[in-house]
Amino acid sequence: MGGAEQRRSEWLTGRVRNHSRRVFLGAAAAGSAALAGCGLLDGEPAPDPAPDPLQPLLDEALALAAAYDRAILAQPALAARLTPMAEDHRAHAAELAKVIGATPPSAAPSASAGAGAAETAATLRKAELAAQKTAVAACKAAPAARAALTGSIAACRATHAEGLR
Amino acid sequence: MTEQLAAALAAEEAAIYAYGVIGVHLTGSDEVSRARAAEQEHRVRRDDLVARLDELKATVPAAPAAYALPFEVTDRATALDLAIHVEDGVAQAWRALLPVTENTERVEALSHLTDSAVRATRWRRIAGAVPLTLAFPGRPGA
Repeated sequence: MGGAEQRRSEWLTGRVRNHSRRVFLGAAAAGSAALAGCGLLDGEPAPDPAPDPLQPLLDEALALAAAYDRAILAQPALAARLTPMAEDHRAHAAELAKVIGATPPSAAPSASAGAGAAETAATLRKAELAAQKTAVAACKAAPAARAALTGSIAACRATHAEGLR
Repeated sequence: MTEQLAAALAAEEAAIYAYGVIGVHLTGSDEVSRARAAEQEHRVRRDDLVARLDELKATVPAAPAAYALPFEVTDRATALDLAIHVEDGVAQAWRALLPVTENTERVEALSHLTDSAVRATRWRRIAGAVPLTLAFPGRPGA
């Protein structure tokens, strides 16, 4: 192979290489655009994603746990009595999250425990009695597979109200 | 559902028997009257269950004349332990009815589960037990 011929063939392969890279890049760009398009479509909310009927019960369990955390911060003398009750609520939240298929909430006491209204045994008791009603309604409306869990949560909230007397 | 109703009946009958033993060993008059009131409630539920099973044309097994207690009851402390044990057991029996009932009947079963759980909490407080509550009253092994 002569020198000129070799340069030409290099040039040719270079061209071809460049061309194929352009083609490849173009294809990749088109591909990523397509992927981005897919991503955007996937990101669209599913048509009418109704929240799980047990979501309010889960939110309430976390709110109650946070209320206990505030009460313990305000009155450390109550910690022995209140800590197991706060843990009960966290256990409820974890179990509900499992049933709903949501991310299990953090088991740690809420970081915002210092904020919010001052809690006393009396305000906690009132909150428990209200929350018991929510859980009774949830149990009544639940399909069979969720009846026992929601029922135990309702009963537990009632025992907390009793324990706070 | 008759299977769960029969299990609830057996639990209520065991509770009635147990409260007879418990009452003998309690000392304070408030404790004794609490035990009597609890026993009375278990009798009412027992009668309701017999009627319901009869309505469903289910045969009601006769209650045994005596029960083997889960542990020996010799004094106030063990009597209170038995009261807690019995109410936890009754709560389990009523909880088992929740998945097999609907509407009013389920709410009633839940109310009985709750009553037993609350009573167990009262006995725990009287006994000085810690903690006072279970996370999932009525769940077996809870």
